[in-house]
Amino acid sequence: MTSRNQTAAGPRCAAQSGAALAVTVHVLLLAVVLGQIVFLASRHRLRFDLTSDQMSTTSASTRTIVDKLDKRLVIEAYFSPKDKLPVNLRQSREVLENFLDELVQIGKGRVVVQRFDPNEDKAIADRCTRLQIQPLDLRSQSSTSLSVDRHWQGLRFVYGGGKQKVMSQMLPASWFAAEIQLTPAIKEVATQQKRKIGYMEWPIASGGQQQAGGTGWGALRSVDQIAKRFEFQNLKDEDGALLPNDLETLFLYRPKDLTDRQKYVLDQFLMRGGTMVVFADACEYAIAPNRMFNRVPVVLDAPGSSRKFVDQLACYGIDWKPKVLADMAAQAHTARDRLTQAFEYLALPQQTQFGLQMAAVPYPYFFHAMAVDWSQSADQLATRDGKLDKDLAAAYRKQFGPGIASDDFLWKAFQQVGRGPGFYWPTWVGLREKAPGAVDLPAGVTGRVMLRSSPAVLAEDPPPALDPIGRGDARARAQSVQKFQQKLAERFQSEPRQQAPLMVDVRGTFASFFAGAERPKRPSEIKEEEAKKAEAERQAKAAAEGEATEPKPADEQGPPPPDAKQPEGPKAAPEADPLAQAQAPGRILMIGDSDFLRDDLVRGDHRQAGGPYSTLGGAFFVALLDWLAEDRDLLELQSRVPVDRKLEFVDAEAVPTGDARLAEQALRRTTFWLVVANVAVPVVLLALFGFAVRLVRRAQKRSFHASLS
Amino acid sequence: MRDSLVIFRRELKSYFYSPIAYVFGVLFLGVLLYIAAKGSLVAGMQASMQGFFGLLPLLLLIFVPPLTMRSWAEERKTGTIELLMTYPAHTGSLVAGKYLASVAYLGFVLVLTLGLPLTLGAYGRLDWPPVVGAYLASLLFAGSFVAVGMFFSSLTRDQIVAMLVSLFVLAVLYLLGHPLLAGLFLEWLPTWGVDLVHGLSPYKYFESIARGALDTRDLVYFACFQGFFLYANALVLHHRRTKG
Repeated sequence: MTSRNQTAAGPRCAAQSGAALAVTVHVLLLAVVLGQIVFLASRHRLRFDLTSDQMSTTSASTRTIVDKLDKRLVIEAYFSPKDKLPVNLRQSREVLENFLDELVQIGKGRVVVQRFDPNEDKAIADRCTRLQIQPLDLRSQSSTSLSVDRHWQGLRFVYGGGKQKVMSQMLPASWFAAEIQLTPAIKEVATQQKRKIGYMEWPIASGGQQQAGGTGWGALRSVDQIAKRFEFQNLKDEDGALLPNDLETLFLYRPKDLTDRQKYVLDQFLMRGGTMVVFADACEYAIAPNRMFNRVPVVLDAPGSSRKFVDQLACYGIDWKPKVLADMAAQAHTARDRLTQAFEYLALPQQTQFGLQMAAVPYPYFFHAMAVDWSQSADQLATRDGKLDKDLAAAYRKQFGPGIASDDFLWKAFQQVGRGPGFYWPTWVGLREKAPGAVDLPAGVTGRVMLRSSPAVLAEDPPPALDPIGRGDARARAQSVQKFQQKLAERFQSEPRQQAPLMVDVRGTFASFFAGAERPKRPSEIKEEEAKKAEAERQAKAAAEGEATEPKPADEQGPPPPDAKQPEGPKAAPEADPLAQAQAPGRILMIGDSDFLRDDLVRGDHRQAGGPYSTLGGAFFVALLDWLAEDRDLLELQSRVPVDRKLEFVDAEAVPTGDARLAEQALRRTTFWLVVANVAVPVVLLALFGFAVRLVRRAQKRSFHASLS
Repeated sequence: MRDSLVIFRRELKSYFYSPIAYVFGVLFLGVLLYIAAKGSLVAGMQASMQGFFGLLPLLLLIFVPPLTMRSWAEERKTGTIELLMTYPAHTGSLVAGKYLASVAYLGFVLVLTLGLPLTLGAYGRLDWPPVVGAYLASLLFAGSFVAVGMFFSSLTRDQIVAMLVSLFVLAVLYLLGHPLLAGLFLEWLPTWGVDLVHGLSPYKYFESIARGALDTRDLVYFACFQGFFLYANALVLHHRRTKG
């Protein structure tokens, strides 16, 4: 029996092990097949970017720039091996390699990526050093050793075998970060010729003294991204020479002390079809270390100038009222995030229960244009004491317009942010009007307002000081701020609602401001004429004296007059005849502020003290240059502003003026209850559901038992 | 398909009739929502579900094995599997029914977390498409873990063993996809080996979709991964069924 069982168990056991083997083989084969499918799927894949701001997709900018390459772009990637990289850098390598692969794909043969490992070959490492590609030396530690590993992640772009650019160290955290660095670099090497832009600037005088550096407008001009594509040339000539004929664009930074000759130079530049961009200010306020904001006298027209610059602009269709503006609409003068970014405008350190914190000080002289159609607020603005004045509302609806009144690509990024760049003590720059609301532009000229304040703007002649803080201890300063605001509020109650234009674009065939008038002479010409006149007078005098006395021998006559017999120096080319009418359509873009591009504000020199700091000034300047050049290549990239996803639990406007403590308390209260609700509601719902199911089940059970009994 | 539906209904009912599912649900939701809500609403102050979806895989790793341990092991222990095996249905249908019921239950629990994105959407500008994508990824990720858990439940009659084994395997799979562990592997594996090991983990693919990039590769991976374990599960049951 036993032996028979044993003999039967043998084949069964063999059958079982055979079946197990079959299952194992089956499973292994399946794993191999599925592995192949996954491998193939990773080779031929489709990718969809679900994010609404498309931050994981190559922008149209990159595609356009790569499409326009007419020579081969070689990207030399100096990468040390990926497997030696620390974990935190592997992600950036992956991002970078994916982006380079994408460039090769969209380049269709025009983009070639060559990879070099500087750790493998000393010659390559030496070349990296020559190219100024910087290694990343990281300390690595194990249980037995401590070493410093050298990693490389730099790029060199060579376009058409000539122009090149080196990116010494690339550590992009995301696709978007890689694109925002690499695409402008490609654009830079592919740019054949720099666009020439002339400028004239009148640096900021502080305390009556010119500061050598730091308070001009040079910081943005020297930014690599701009300097590699645009060539800026200072054309402020003391002798008032006419501007070069090949100059297309001229920037004027806070023009002042303008002589008639300078005005003539600008006039003739416009007559030749030039584009003039004016960053104007009605006044100049010194930002002293304690931010006293005292006015520094500014005179637009130089002494002896017979023609006013304001009249000249009016001749072209621009109405510049040299007044300083304050926007009383809270959202216009509030920083985007005033609890953490109060330094964009004005903030003061205040002692709160959470320690010393910067608290925003409402200061309506620093504000931005809002991407809001203010005509929609007409009813609200026309309501007084709870009663709506329908006629007034209708008038307001007609009178007021959007804050950013243009769909030009210059504003694309700003429309997304919801506001224009912040302006500091801006001035009124509008279109010439014959009556309020009735635009009166010269024949052949068109114009439009591009930026406007809110309808709650106050305009005034620049007062000697606009200091809201004052001196003294915290209490005195708080009182000073309160008094300052009270004064503004009183003015706001008594003055009519108006919307100030902040930027205009005027273009067309201008008529010369100097038409029919004598051409203003250059200082050197005046000097020359005066010298000639003096010489003529001297000669006439000498002749008169000669008649009376005997002529002296030649050697006794004394030295010849300075310019009588001296060899003549190179004479300036004769100046072109004045143009009374434009030869080609010209253009004036006038912006009612220059402070927002000032070096100290752009660099954030006053951040530590609580502002002001021009956070969007740089972005505006870059966009403006591209817009003027009608260069849309980088448009998509520049307008890819990550959407602000900040949670707004507390309405900043509802919190009494800048009290960080109250805001913090309100915030804590709200978040506490939200957390409780988010946790408790689903948990309680599930528990209640379970309880209900249990009750139903129990009832069913009881009725079943009852039916049985 | 009809058989799967019958099994699906039976299993889903059993989930909702069992107090364990509620204990599981309450604990899971309580821990997940408390940490995620604190992170998003208090610390983060951003309308982003990153904290939530960052924590979810870890919690699924802890909560899915106890949920799936009973799927086959309990049937075997109580002897109801014999009854189930005599049911005139394809083994695959039985597996699919149980799998779908588990995923449906987890889906129901995930639906209860929708309050958090709704809150974030109410107080900020929440980017909804990636959130929807991340919920889809969560369901696929949970489905993968369910498939693994069910497979190990089919191998043993002891629920605790099934739970521990699946917990261990899932933990390994989870960690393989974690970038920190990939760094450790680098010391003793070649790059292609690290990539292979890294590529085995569902966590890697979950992360990719949860970030807002829907890739066909990730979807194919999840389909293959789940298909593999469900097929293996069906094979084990089929083997047992034919063995008698």
